Amino acid sequence: MNKKGLEQVISVYWFAILIIVAGGIFAMVYTFYNSPYDIREVEATFLANKISSCLSENGKLNLELNTDGVFNESFKNNFLDKCSINFDVEKDFEEKNQFYVKINFFKLEDLGDSIFEISEGNKNLESNCEIQEDEEHEKLAKCMEKNFYSLDNKNNQYIIKILSVVRKTEKNVK
Amino acid sequence: MKNKRANILEGNIIFIVLNVVFLAILILFLFKQGAGAVILEQAYAKQIALLIDSAEPGMVLKLNMKKVIEVAEKNKIVPDNLVSISDNIVQVKLSERGGYSYSFFNDVKVTLRYEEDLHNDGEKGYVFFIEEKNE
Repeated sequence: MNKKGLEQVISVYWFAILIIVAGGIFAMVYTFYNSPYDIREVEATFLANKISSCLSENGKLNLELNTDGVFNESFKNNFLDKCSINFDVEKDFEEKNQFYVKINFFKLEDLGDSIFEISEGNKNLESNCEIQEDEEHEKLAKCMEKNFYSLDNKNNQYIIKILSVVRKTEKNVK
Repeated sequence: MKNKRANILEGNIIFIVLNVVFLAILILFLFKQGAGAVILEQAYAKQIALLIDSAEPGMVLKLNMKKVIEVAEKNKIVPDNLVSISDNIVQVKLSERGGYSYSFFNDVKVTLRYEEDLHNDGEKGYVFFIEEKNE
């Protein structure tokens, strides 16, 4: 092969590489922009934060929730209203309720047994968290756990564990 | 000899020009994808929903939406109708046919207003007023 022939082969080869690279970039960009932004983890964190500031302020339990060491059942029954939370929102999803929260209160001296529990939302979503303990799965609901310490008005000490779960898979995962 | 050099130069110039054209198309494609109405609608609807979820009654939130407003104006959408909120759902609409909605769990009353001059610096955007629902 003469020098000119070799140059032509090299430039064809160069353009073939360019086309392959371009194809790769197009495919990556298309995939990136076609998959929705997944904000469920942030949402679950905000939900846990909102609940914690509703239950306890400045390290003291809400007096509507606990007075003199006694937990109030009516707070539990109206938990969503009391904390200004609305789970009955979008209707575009397969499952009706896209949220789940579970709050457990433990005495500091006995972290094994929960002395009071509040839960709201779609209980089926809780199993998603158990499945994802070892490995995360995109299509399952996102779970967030938050623990904090608080006192009641009699200075009894509590550890509060909040589990917040957000599904909304259709709008966050492709 | 001179003719041969001219040929090599011409070939190289064509090769470089083609490469530059190719790169320009690629960059244009990337920018266009990132600034597409569908992506912006989704990004801003989710951003506003998260802002509201993290807000507390009494807060006033200002969101610079210059980039989105430019796209909306291109698509002949009046900036005042770009964002709407009802029943805990935010909707961002950047084209006649499009629109993306996302919900928020924070049970608050949200009123919003379009501002031509957000921080006295000519930036356009929206102001969100967060109030308690039973107020």
